[in-house]
Parts: sequence; structure tokens; C-alpha cells
Amino acid sequence: MSAEQTHSSAEVAARVERRWGTIAVIIVVMMALLAAFAGIHRATMPQPRVETTDPSRLHLSGEFVESNLGSVLEANGNVTVRAIGQQYSFTPACIVVPVDTPITLRATSADVVHGILIQGTNVNTMLVPGYISEQLMRFTKAGDYLMPCQEFCSFGHEGMWGKVKVIDKTEFADRAKSSGRLSCVGQ
Amino acid sequence: MLVNRKLILAHFWLAFGVFGIALTLGAWQMFIRSPIGTWLSNPELYYRSLTAHGTVMGYVFPTLVAMGFGYAISESALEQRLVGVRWAWAGFWLIVAGSVMAVIPIALGRASVLYTFYPPLIGNVFYYLGVVLVVVGSWVWVALMSVNLRVWRKAHPGAPVPLAMFANVAGSYLWAWTAVGAALELLLQIIPVAAGLKATIDAGLARIFFSWTLHAIVYFWLMPTYIAYYTIVPRAIGGRVYSDSMARISFILFLVVAMPIGMHHTFADPQVGAGFKFIHSAFTALVALPTLLTVFTICASVEIAARLRGGRGMFGWTRALPWDNPMMLALAFSFVMLGFGGAGGLINMSYQLDASIHNTQWITGHFHLIFGGAIVIMYFVIAYDLWPHLTGRELIDIRLIRTQLWLWFIGMIVTTFPWHWVGILGMPRRMAYFDFADPAIAPQALSVTLSAIGGFILLASGIMFIVILARGMRAPQVDAGPYRFAIAVHQPATVPVALNTHALWVALMIALTLTNYGYPILNLALSEGTSVPAVYVGAQ
Amino acid sequence: MSTRDLFTFSNRHFTVGVGITAAILVVTAIAGFVVLPFAQPWVQFANVWDAICSAAGVPQRAASVTAPEQTKRLSEVVLTSRTLSRPSQEAIGRGATLAQRCAICHGPTGISRADSPNLAGQYAAVIYKELHDFRSGARTNAVMSPFAVNLTDQEIADLSNYYAYLPRLPAYHPTPLLPKPNIVIYGAPMRGIAPCGACHGSLDNKTGSPWLEGQSEVYLKAQLQAFASGERRNDISQQMRNIGRAMTPQEIEAAAAYYASQPPDVVKAVD
Repeated sequence: MSAEQTHSSAEVAARVERRWGTIAVIIVVMMALLAAFAGIHRATMPQPRVETTDPSRLHLSGEFVESNLGSVLEANGNVTVRAIGQQYSFTPACIVVPVDTPITLRATSADVVHGILIQGTNVNTMLVPGYISEQLMRFTKAGDYLMPCQEFCSFGHEGMWGKVKVIDKTEFADRAKSSGRLSCVGQ
Repeated sequence: MLVNRKLILAHFWLAFGVFGIALTLGAWQMFIRSPIGTWLSNPELYYRSLTAHGTVMGYVFPTLVAMGFGYAISESALEQRLVGVRWAWAGFWLIVAGSVMAVIPIALGRASVLYTFYPPLIGNVFYYLGVVLVVVGSWVWVALMSVNLRVWRKAHPGAPVPLAMFANVAGSYLWAWTAVGAALELLLQIIPVAAGLKATIDAGLARIFFSWTLHAIVYFWLMPTYIAYYTIVPRAIGGRVYSDSMARISFILFLVVAMPIGMHHTFADPQVGAGFKFIHSAFTALVALPTLLTVFTICASVEIAARLRGGRGMFGWTRALPWDNPMMLALAFSFVMLGFGGAGGLINMSYQLDASIHNTQWITGHFHLIFGGAIVIMYFVIAYDLWPHLTGRELIDIRLIRTQLWLWFIGMIVTTFPWHWVGILGMPRRMAYFDFADPAIAPQALSVTLSAIGGFILLASGIMFIVILARGMRAPQVDAGPYRFAIAVHQPATVPVALNTHALWVALMIALTLTNYGYPILNLALSEGTSVPAVYVGAQ
Repeated sequence: MSTRDLFTFSNRHFTVGVGITAAILVVTAIAGFVVLPFAQPWVQFANVWDAICSAAGVPQRAASVTAPEQTKRLSEVVLTSRTLSRPSQEAIGRGATLAQRCAICHGPTGISRADSPNLAGQYAAVIYKELHDFRSGARTNAVMSPFAVNLTDQEIADLSNYYAYLPRLPAYHPTPLLPKPNIVIYGAPMRGIAPCGACHGSLDNKTGSPWLEGQSEVYLKAQLQAFASGERRNDISQQMRNIGRAMTPQEIEAAAAYYASQPPDVVKAVD
């Protein structure tokens, strides 16, 4: 093999390589753009703010006192759900929400790290003690959903399963007329 | 030239010994939580086993493989006796001491907090101290790799550093910096609480520190595998490395972008700002780049081997490959698993797709496929390839080796594919048992059973692996000759300084860590009232 | 080129490497901190600075929310793993003196001859919390409430430390050992019930949860039923009501009978 041949084959190799490199870069850029696009158009974005709270005093004051846990129909027709995770249950243990309604879930942990995952949906958030998790959600189908704790929270973790009941809008509105927060606990 | 064979063998044997134990625990876990197991009357045993499995597989096993392999590379690629052998042994014994110190509280059920720590859960302080010792021991190796390269450079001014050593040192630097996140979490946050000096801890900050380590550690695990792709496989199958500089660029890219992306593990966390989540997501996309480059270079290198063996045609050359060669087989398996695992990784990296599988069994399936599959199968063949050079004895039973690799591949597919599937169905992680009798999760029962069967296939393969190595210690003696690495088609006579040294890239790695982690860490570290009371586990 | 020139702009690798990295960082930062926050119509930011600070994750205290009035009194105790400091001998001595009034129901050795709870060797945090709740009215009992009303914080702490210090003795009404029912061993995952021992001592202790071995069956059953019906509600954020409500009447009976039949020594010693 002459020196010239070596040179030209090296150049061919480099050219093929550059071409592949360009394709790889394009793939990567496309993925990043896709993620940004999906974020804006499908309205699944990380919570916009970091909010803090004191996990050992949740029951004394603030939005996570017992009487404020559960679902509430806001004036604008949206629903806000407030819940806490603790070793080893969610309160409310059964969350009731209307179908086809924008819902804001606000939740936090009273002790260790927990997680809320509603099966069959993309509702999925960590509950880190000291911080408040907020997630927007909207259910398109009525029915019962399982809501397991998705993070190891010590030895009772396997028993930490909550439920979500998605009901008809008018039924929810009826039940919301009585003051207080709604849940499907004990039903 | 491999002089300190005992040192390298000690690392490998300890690595594969603890791997065997952790693998057995893993298979038991798969079984006991599946529909074919019976519910544990003490769920804590499951979490105890999980902690041991994760600690060994995450911290001890791959670190020891990287260290042993690193010493072998340093001696054979640089053709230079290892400098600082005593230090190397000191590092080894630190890891032994750390592992024992960590395992005792785990075995006693005093540290069932999982290898990811999860403060404010706090276990016995000796568990954390043991992990710290393991990391310190591995840092000795990092320093030695750097020192050995420096000694070599002095003797060979301006010469291109052999690719294997260049990559090896890049991997060691990546590990040194990666481990800092978990080290800060342990030393500043967890250990003071575990030792009773403090009673509160910022759980959110701890998760940020851990994410610093948690993602790049995967690339540290990956390093020996990628080094094998580039510098062992082409030689073993009779080919050449397609491009030396592309290989260097891939390792450099890992060094730079493996680090500042860890917060994609905290997409669902409330304590991280959305802006930083986006930045980390974008940088995570970047980390696909070195892997895509590697796939190209290795496929091209393999094609060269095939054509040198007379392969023809657009795809017909694949038939000319030495498929009976364990190295070829392992590479193919590794690439298949890397392909599926990588595709899964792309899903994890985008916030929107991640939301539906975050912290489900999908994630466990994903990292077992990548780490246990694509990475560990190459650890096996690295050991097979090095063994005759380390023991001076031949590994005779090639057929058994092939069977072992096939079983590992099949086992990993059978384990992880259903595992991904139940993740999509929303099965949560780390539960000691599931009530599969309940109609709501009954559809997951079959998949979980399949995974458990896969676990036993993996266990069988793992036992075969250890048996093959053990038999290799007694096989007939053979002169394996010097240990060599693949050379490039166009072996470079000179390499630009930037591609021959690490300084620029280490500087970029640290700079990106500061930009991507600096503010989130300081932000929480300086905030008042984000610390929460510790919850001590098993402390009665 | 020597190593010395590595970090200069004349080095192409340096300019390209640093340039691309910086460019990606700037573009993603602008997208993540400015563009994306304002691309979400459902979130309102006061100005660009607010958007940037929010995206950066500057912690904010949650806005105050007016919660519906709490009709019934609930527990106001704050419990952490460090609520009670290590007891001194004097504190235990003071507790022993105070405990003389308790002996009529809870027994002179902390073992009740009636159906009142045994207190000997109970976790200090449990007695501390229940006394506070009786005092505040979050928990009521015709006999117990009057005793608790006049206790000071110091007296409650002393009593807690004293009873925690007492040795765990066998129950007064021993019954034959019963096998462990499934509800106690496994809980009922899909109903959200963890194994009892995960909080109540045999696996781990959740601060404020008592160990139950050797307690009166009548007492245990009554408490579980009270939690289930919501009649008793001093469990912070419904942690025990969630469990009691999900249990069947048969499970309540089985759990109460099982715990009553157990000797106290199966519980690991405190500290």
C-alpha cells in the first residue's frame, strides 16, 4: 500500500465517519426538540415552583391540616386535591375526582420519601418531606384507579396502596355542594 | 506484560465472588415477590436482601472489575510495571474492609435503607462508613492510574497514549468526580445524623447529591465494556479499530456529558426547579451521542474483520464473522441489549414519557438490561480474555463459555422484557409482595412469573461463569504470550494534545457540574427550614 | 502544540469544545428558564425574574390557604424521633411518684388488672403523645381525661420516661398463644394495610405507635373499632383510621385476640 493510498483511504474513512457523526447529532437534536414540543403541547410540564413546608407540623396549620385534605371544587370549575403520604397510607386513602376536569394535585409527605403513582395514567410524582409536590391531571375515563406508593418508605411500603375514584361531573358537583373536602374513604 | 497478576486476580476474584452472592440474592428476590413465591412473613428480609444486592452490584462489583481491568490495562498497554503496587493493595484491602463493614449491619437488618440511602430514613452508621471506605479504596486506584500514565508520558514524551489507557484513565477520572456527589451526601448529611450528631436532614438536597452520582456511575460501569468494544473485540475477532480518534472522542464525550445530567432521576421531585430539569434533560440527550458514535465505529470495525476473513456483500459479510468466538458472541448480545436498553433510556430522558414509567418496574427492567445485560456480559468476556494471561493456564471449555453467554443473554431478555411491561402497567418498585389475586393487578402475574424464571436462568449462567473461571485456575499450563490490544486501521503517529490528555475535558466536566449542579445544591443548602426529622429504621 | 497551549483559543479543540458546550448551555438555559415557563398558559408569573427564580427552584413558602373549620378536636402533638430526650434518673424518679395515681387502673407495675392498657416498657413517645391528647381533648375517656387535664408538660414527659423504663412483664390475663393471623403478618396490600409490625414494633416502630403484645383483647378491639368508625381521631392525619376503616370486623377481632395472647418479650427491647 503506497503512502498516497493510505492517505486517501484515511480520508474516505473520515468522511464516512463525519457523515455518521452528523446523523447522530441530528438524532440527538431531534429528541431534545421533541421533548420540548411535547412539554408545551401536551401540557405535561414539571411543577413550576419549589414550595416548602414542615412535615412534622402539617397537621397543625396550613393547607395540609386534616379538614383540608381531599378534593374541592374551585370557583372556576377546576378541582384541587390535597393529600399527604405518611408511613404507610395516603390521606385521603381514596381520592374522588370528576372526569374531564382540570385537576391540581397538591401533596406532600409527613415523614419519609414517598411517591404517588396513579396506574394507567401519567400522574406520577415524588413526595419528599419538606417540599410540596404539585401536578396537573385530567382523567378522561371514569372508574377506579390504583394509587400505589412508588418509593421505598421502609418496611411497610408493600402495604401502601391508595385508590382514586373518577366519577361523573354532575355527581361530583352534587357532592361538592356540602361544605368540606370530598373523598371516597369508606365507600 | 502483566507482572502483578496476583493483584489483578485478587480484584477479579473478589468482584466475581461478591457478584455471585448478590446474584443469588437477586434471583431469590425475583422469586419471592412473584406469584410463584409465598409472601414473606417478614417483609424486612426482602428490603435487607435488596440493600445487599444493590450495594454489592452498584458499588463493589463494578468498581473492583474496573480496578482490576485498569491495572491490567496499565501494565499491558503501557508495557510498564505498575507503579505503586503497595498502594494498589492498600486500596484493595480498603475495599475489603469497607465491604465487610457495610455488610454486617445489612445482614443484621440494621441498614435496610436500600443502596440509594433514601434519607430521612437512616440506618446504622457503619453501613455508610463501609460504603465510604469502598469509595476511598477506589480513589486510590484513580490516583494510581493517573500516576502510571504520568510516568509513562515522561518516558515517552509526545507519543500517543495507547487508546485503552486513555479510556481507562478517562473512566477513572469520571468515577473520581462522580463519586463526589454521594460522598458529600454521606459525609455532610447522612453520617452526622446516623452517628447521632444531628437529628434533621434535608431529604431533597440529599436526592440532588445522589443524582450527581447515580447517573454518571452508570457510565463508570460502562467504561470497561466500552474499552473492550474498542480495544479487545477487534483484536479477538481478527479486525482493526475503524478509527482511533473517534474512539477518543467518544470517551471524551462520556467524560464531559455523563456528569451534568443526573437530575433526570429527579424529574418527579418537588425540590428541583423546572429549568434545571430541562437543562439536564437536554444534556441527557447528548449522552446518546458517544454511544451512537461507538455503535458506528464498532460495527465498522467488525465489518473490517469480516471482510478480512473474506466476507462479501452489503450484509453478507456478517456470515463471515467468527460466531463461535465468545468475544464475537458477547459483542452481538451486548449490542442487542444496549439497543433495547438505550431505546428505553431515551424514554426515561424525556420528562413527558418518563412521567408514565418513573419509579415503576420499568426502571428496574431498564437498568438491569443495560447494566446486568449489555455491560456485565462484556465483563464476562473481559475475564475470559484475560484469564490465560493472568493464570498462565488455558480456558479450554469454549463450548461451556458459549453456553454461559447464551444463557446470560436469554436470561436477561426473559427477565427484563416482562419487567419493562409491568412497569408500563404501573407496577411500583421495591415492594416485598404483591396481591396478584386482586383482579386489578392480576394481569401482571404472568409477566412477573416470567421475570422470576429469567432470574433463575441468570443465576445458572452466573454459576457457570464462576465454575469456568475456577476450572481455569487448574487447567493445563499455557504460554498465553503478551496481552495485546486492537490497533486502528490508521494507527496514529501523533495525536493532538487535546485528544492525548484529559485536562481540558476534566476541566469541562467540572465546569458543567458547577453550572448544572452548583445552584440547585447551594440553593437548598443555604435555605432555612428545608431539613426534616430523621427516621431511624430498625433502631429499636 | 504543547500541553501549555491546551487552554488557549489558538487550540481548535479548546475553542470548539468549550464553545459548543457553552452554546448548548446557553440555549438550554434560555429555553428552560424563560421560554418554557412562559409557554405554560396555566401558570402565571409576575415577571421574567419571577419566572427565572421559579424555574431555578428558589424555595417559596406555600401560600396560606383557608381550610374548613375543624369541628372536632385533633391531636396537636409534634412527634419526631427526637421528641423526648434521653431520660435522667431524676426524671424517672419523678415519673414514679406521679405514676402512683395511675396504678389503680394501670397496675402498680404498669400491668393492668382490668382492661386498661399495660404501660410497662411502652415506648415513651406513645405515652407522651396519648397523655397530651387526653389533656387537649383530642382523645377522650371518662376515666382518663380528668387525670390528664391537670398534668404539666414536664409531668407528661416524666411519666412517659418512667413507664418506658419499667421492665416488660407478662400480661395479667394470660391466654393461650394464638397463631399469627394473616392480617397481622401481611396486612392487606390492596386495601392499603401494611403488616401491623411495620409500625407496632415487631418489624419497626413508627414514632408514636405502641407495641401491642399482651394488651387486653377488649381494649384492642374497642380501639380498632373506634378508629374504624372515626370515633377516635387523635391519630395524626388519619394514619390509624385509614387502617381501621379498611379492616373487616373479623380481622379486627383476630388481630385483637392475637396481640392479647402474645407475651411482651417478643418485642425487641427499646434502645
